[in-house]
Amino acid sequence: MPQGNEITMNKTMTVDVLSSIKGAKPSETINKLFEVIKNSDLSTAGSSGNNNQNAVSIEQLREDTVVHASALEKQLIVENFPQEKNGYLVVAKVIEA
Amino acid sequence: MQSQIKHIHQQLISKQISCVDLVQQRLDLLKQNSHGSVNALLDANALKQAQAVDTKIANGENIGLLEGIPFGVKDVFMLQGTFTTASSDFLKQYKSAYTASAIQKLIDAGAIPIVKENCDSFGHGSSNENSIFGPVNNAKDPSLVAGGSSGGSAVNVAKDYTAFSIGGDTGGSVRQPAGYNGVYGLKPTYGRISRYGLMAYASSTDCVGPLAKSVEDIRIVLNTISGKDVKDQTTYESAPIGEAGLADTGSVKTVGYFKNLLENDAMDASIKADFMATLEKLKAKGIEVKPLDFVDAEALISTYYILAMAETASNLSRLDGTNYGNRIEAENLIESYAVTRSENFSEESKRRIVGGNQVLSQGFSDAIYLKSLAVRDKLSADFEGFFNDVDIVLSPVTPGLPPKVGDGLKDPMAMYLSDAFTVGFSLGQLPTLTVPHGTATGIQITAAKTDDERVLQFAHLLEETL
Repeated sequence: MPQGNEITMNKTMTVDVLSSIKGAKPSETINKLFEVIKNSDLSTAGSSGNNNQNAVSIEQLREDTVVHASALEKQLIVENFPQEKNGYLVVAKVIEA
Repeated sequence: MQSQIKHIHQQLISKQISCVDLVQQRLDLLKQNSHGSVNALLDANALKQAQAVDTKIANGENIGLLEGIPFGVKDVFMLQGTFTTASSDFLKQYKSAYTASAIQKLIDAGAIPIVKENCDSFGHGSSNENSIFGPVNNAKDPSLVAGGSSGGSAVNVAKDYTAFSIGGDTGGSVRQPAGYNGVYGLKPTYGRISRYGLMAYASSTDCVGPLAKSVEDIRIVLNTISGKDVKDQTTYESAPIGEAGLADTGSVKTVGYFKNLLENDAMDASIKADFMATLEKLKAKGIEVKPLDFVDAEALISTYYILAMAETASNLSRLDGTNYGNRIEAENLIESYAVTRSENFSEESKRRIVGGNQVLSQGFSDAIYLKSLAVRDKLSADFEGFFNDVDIVLSPVTPGLPPKVGDGLKDPMAMYLSDAFTVGFSLGQLPTLTVPHGTATGIQITAAKTDDERVLQFAHLLEETL
């Protein structure tokens, strides 16, 4: 079982990297919630495993067609973009020089 | 309490008040923001819609029951062109591109949204103190918290600033503030109301829920916003609940309650005594009362929070400042994500996101996440068994009284434990109504899945009894 703020995946990954939150650390309060479940001897025998599934049948799926957004919706999506320069939407630098 | 909606409707059609004056009066009250319940006023559109209603009335046209009725919207629902902030720094400049299905149905029926309401950020909280707009003060005693996360909605209804409000309930976020502020709040059966346009917190328990001052108003609003929606594949068709049917209170012969949860050390003595007195009154009316064995409070809370954290960590991973939200630039993309999320999420939201990612990680998931899922399935099976024996389950809404403003965020564990009576019904996806009677923070009425009508029927019986 991993200890502290290190999570074992293919490589050891700290919770700040895992959550993409700079400086994030595990919480003692949350760890207490984990301990309750880890240490509990709750009987789960007889659980069907499907009481909370809300799947739909294929007949109930909506038509597989493209529905175009209204002009207002498109305008609002563009307005919500965080940064714009000279009419272009600016994204963060992805490829390092 | 009589129906506010019917009362206002009567005033409008008899021309005792114009719709413009009605809406303006409510906006004037909200503008003072006396209890911190307001994130944004929707005044321009609201007055325009009110004028249209007045024109119809002046022309002698009939208006529908909800036409011209002013209502509030928790600030996690999309309403096209309005700011939808989730009370967060992340989205404080975000404008909804579209409108949530439930809100659209109310607008189509002629109701007028007048305010986006304060709430805990992304629904993360039980006191409405986790908000960039500040805490919401309790409607009965402003030195106390309003409860959360739909605290602004509960206060606006309690203070008559809105005729009704639409909240969201993931683990008690409609029912608990309803109890703290003395109004009705319904978490319907999961899937009865479309979640399309409600910001996702924990998708497997998220529900849209009305808050109002009477059972009748809850019924009217519930009927309007229920139904199948192709944009939310968990929704199902449901028949409207008739007004006459609510008077049929004779169908409830047996009521159950969770004896072990009442014996928890955290239980307030007055709430416990008042709840037991309510059961005695029901017995005196000839209703059989049965104690039920349930999971203990700590295990219940842990199961709920583990699953809710896992789901919110996944849902909120979309917030990285790339396409919308408050982006903070850094030297590269990965660093920009990390700084943006660190600076824009509140401490409580970060606690839940980090916890959720821990839960879902290799090495943790079998021992914690999968075990919690199994416990949840067992709970659901238990509920099915309970409802073979009893018609209704009654419980307090909260184990304690509302805390003082400022105390809620100091002790996260105390805040989580305050949800002991609400989260079980969320995990079971059951219809549950808070009624503002019976104890200082109300009583919850729960029925079997999809039997929302029986919950409302029993609320009538409880009102007659108490």
